[in-house]
Amino acid sequence: MNLPEFLKSRQEVDSDLFLHPMILAYQSVVLAGYRSLIDLPQTVTLLRQLTLNADAADKPLFDLKSGVGIPMNDPGEREVLNAIADGQMLIYSDISDRCMRLVPVSRTLSRSIESPTTENVVRGAISAFNEELDTNIGLIKQSMPTEKLQMQSYALGRDQRRRIVLLYVKGKIHERLLQSISQKIESLPEKDIPDLQALSDLLGFSKWTIITRYNTTEIPQEAASALAAGKVVLLLDRFPFALTLPILLSDMFVSQSDRNVPALLQLSLLVLRVLGVLLSILLPGLYVALVSVNPEVLRIEIALSIAGSRVDVPYPALVETLLLLLVLELTFESAVRLPKTIGPTITMVGGIILGQAVVQAKLVSNVLIIILAASTIANFAVIGVQNTMSIRIYKYLLLILSSMFGLLGLFVGIVVICAYLGHVNTFGIPYLSRWKAGRRYG
Amino acid sequence: MDRSIQVIAMCLITNLGLIFFLYPADIIASLSTGHWSAVLLGFVIHIGMVSVYIKGLSKCAPKNVIDLFQSAGNVFAFLMLLPLAVYFVMMLIITVRAYAEIVTMVFLAQTPLWTIMLLFLALSTLVSLWGIESLFRTSMLIALLFFPFLIIVVILSFQNVDWHYMLPFVDRKTATFSYVFHRPFLQSLFAFVGGFLFLGFIPPYVPYQSRKIIMASLLLLPFFLISVYVPLLTFGENTASKFPFPFIMAVDTVDISWLMFDRITIFFMISLLCFVVLFLSLVMWMTLQLLKRSMHFFNAPIASVLLAATVFIVCLLVPSWSNVEQMIWWNTYLRLYAAFVIPLVTFALGVSRRRKEVIRP
Repeated sequence: MNLPEFLKSRQEVDSDLFLHPMILAYQSVVLAGYRSLIDLPQTVTLLRQLTLNADAADKPLFDLKSGVGIPMNDPGEREVLNAIADGQMLIYSDISDRCMRLVPVSRTLSRSIESPTTENVVRGAISAFNEELDTNIGLIKQSMPTEKLQMQSYALGRDQRRRIVLLYVKGKIHERLLQSISQKIESLPEKDIPDLQALSDLLGFSKWTIITRYNTTEIPQEAASALAAGKVVLLLDRFPFALTLPILLSDMFVSQSDRNVPALLQLSLLVLRVLGVLLSILLPGLYVALVSVNPEVLRIEIALSIAGSRVDVPYPALVETLLLLLVLELTFESAVRLPKTIGPTITMVGGIILGQAVVQAKLVSNVLIIILAASTIANFAVIGVQNTMSIRIYKYLLLILSSMFGLLGLFVGIVVICAYLGHVNTFGIPYLSRWKAGRRYG
Repeated sequence: MDRSIQVIAMCLITNLGLIFFLYPADIIASLSTGHWSAVLLGFVIHIGMVSVYIKGLSKCAPKNVIDLFQSAGNVFAFLMLLPLAVYFVMMLIITVRAYAEIVTMVFLAQTPLWTIMLLFLALSTLVSLWGIESLFRTSMLIALLFFPFLIIVVILSFQNVDWHYMLPFVDRKTATFSYVFHRPFLQSLFAFVGGFLFLGFIPPYVPYQSRKIIMASLLLLPFFLISVYVPLLTFGENTASKFPFPFIMAVDTVDISWLMFDRITIFFMISLLCFVVLFLSLVMWMTLQLLKRSMHFFNAPIASVLLAATVFIVCLLVPSWSNVEQMIWWNTYLRLYAAFVIPLVTFALGVSRRRKEVIRP
C-alpha cells in the first residue's frame, strides 16, 4: 500500500487528520494523527528528545531499538486507521516506505476526579470515577493495593472498539462466575456495546426484567469492597460507573461507607432502609385497599376522617392515587432533565400544586397527599438510583392488585414480588443469597 | 450446600397456613373435654411419620421419593404414586375452594368467588413455574416478613382468655381414645399431612439435614395447642363448638386501643392466606413432578396451566360449603394413605436399598 497517497486521500474526507512534515534525525518524515486527540507541539518536543537519544546511541530512527516508536511493516489500511483512531500518531518517511506508530502526548479530554454526582457519601472517601478508563482502574488500584487484584481486558465491537476491563481478586472470586462472565464476553467479540442494554444482552440477561443484574457505583471504595467480597467489577471506557456482578438484595440496603459508623448505628440505618422500602411499596396500595375495599379494618374514627376528606372527591381511590402518582413521577423526571439553575422552580411549582391547591380544589384527599409524600420520601432511602426505579414499579403492581382484592390483593402482591426476587439470579447466583467471600453460593 | 433453614421455613409456613382455619373446629368437635389429648395424639403421629419418612429418605440420599419408588420397578412406582397424585390434585381443589370461600365469608363479601380462586391459582402456577429453588427462597423471605407479625397476633389473642375453661383435664372419652376413628378427628389430620410430604420431593434440588427438620417440627406443637385452646379459653367449649373458624373468632374479640386498625384478624388471616398460596405452589410443583415422570410428553408450562385450569373448573363446579366439607371427608382415605403408607413404604424401600448396597457395594 502506498501510505502517503492513502493518508492524503483520507485527509480529504477527514479534515481532523493532520499531516505534518518535518526533519527528524536528518530524514524528512511526515507525522500523521488526529488534531483533536493529539497535542502536537508537546509531541514534537518529545519526539525531538527521543530522536536525539536514538542518535546518540547510534540507532537508526525506524528501528524498534531506537525507542521512538513501534515499527509497522507494510501496514494495511485497517491497521493504520485503527492506530489513528486509537489516538496514536504515525511517523512515516516520504522516500523510503518505513513507518512506525507511537503514543503521543494526548489532549486532556476528560474531567478531573470529582466527587460523585448520583451518590452521596456521608463518611468515607468521596472521589468518584470519571470517563477515563485508566483513571478508573487506577482509582480502584489505589483503594485496593494488593497483588491479588487481577484483570482481563477486552476490546469489543466491529465499528467502534470499546474497551471493557474485568477486575477480580484472585482467591476471593468464584471461579465458575468468572469463567461464565469471561466466556460470555469472549463469545461475541464483534458485538458493539454502545450502552448497558447491549452489555446485558451480551452477558445473556433477559430483556424483560425489572432488576438489573449488575449494581452500578460511582465510588471506587464501593467497587473495591465489592472486589474484596469476591464479586466481579466491570469497567467500560467512557462510562463513569463501575458495574459489580452479581447483584444481591443486600446491595440495596448495605453500603461500604456504613461501616465507618458504629455497628449499632449501622444496624439502625439498615432497619431504616428496609422500613423505607416496605413503606414506599405498601403505602399507596394500603390506602387504596383501606379506602375502597376494606374500610371496616380501620378504627371507626380514622375511617370516618378519611371518608370525610374524600367527600368531594369525584372519582374512585385508585384513579385518585394514579393521578397524583403520575404528577409525582413527572416531577421526578423533569427534576432530572432541568438544568441546575432552574431546578428550584420545579420544587416551588410542584410544592404549590401538590400541596394545598390540589386539596382545596377537591381533586384529591389530603390524606392521600400525606401518604404519597411519605411513600416518595421513603422510596429514596435505598442505596443506588437503579434500585429506586425497581421499587417505583412494584408500587404500581400492589396498587392495582389492592384496588381489585383489597388487603388480600396487597399481601398477595407482596408474595408475587417476593417470588420474583426469589426467581432472579445472576449466572446461577440467586438475588436473595447471603453472600460471603470464598463461600459456595446457593 | 445445606439449606435446612429454607426447608424449616417452608415447613412452618405450610403447616401454619393449614392449622388455624379448619383444624380447631375439627378438634373441638371431636371431644368435649381434654382436647390436648387429640392435639398431642395427632402431633405424635405427625412427628412419627415425619421421622420415618425422613429416615427412609436419608438412607438413599440424595434420591427423592419418585426415584426411590422407581428403583423398585416402574409399575410399582406408578401404582403406589397414583393415589398420591390424586390426593395432591384433590388437595389443590379443596384448598383453593375452601380458602376462597373463607375469604368471601370473612372479608371480601362482594367479590365473586371465581376471581379469588383465579387469583390463588394464577399466583401459585406462576410461583411453581419459577422452580422449586426460588420457591424456597421466596418462603424464606416471606417468613422473615410475616412471622414477627403473626407471633404478635398469636400473643395478643390471649387477651380475653379465662384459664378456668381449661378444666377438666380428662374424661372417659379422652382416656380411652374412643374419638380416634370418628370423622372429626380423622378430618383434623388434614392439618398434619399436607405439610410434610414435600420433604421427599425436594432432594437433590434443596438439600437439608433431617435432624434439624425434626427438631424444627417440634416448634409447631405450641401453635397446634394455641389454635385449639385460645378459642376454648375465650368462649368455652359450648360456644366455641358453634363456630366454623373458632380461632379467627377468638382473634376477632381482641381489642387494642393503641392500634389504628380495628380488626387485626384480617391481617392475620391474609398472612396465613399468603402461606396457603405458597403451599398451593408447592403442591402444584409436586403434582407436576409426578405427572412429568409418568407422562414425558408434558412440558412444564403447558402442564401446569392445564393442571391449574382443571383445578379451576372443578372448583367452579363445587356449589357450596357443605360440599367442600363432604370433599374433605371423601379425601380422608387418600389422606390416610399419604400419611401412613407413603412414609412406611419409603422407609422400607430405603432400608432394603441400603442393605443391598451394603451386601453388593
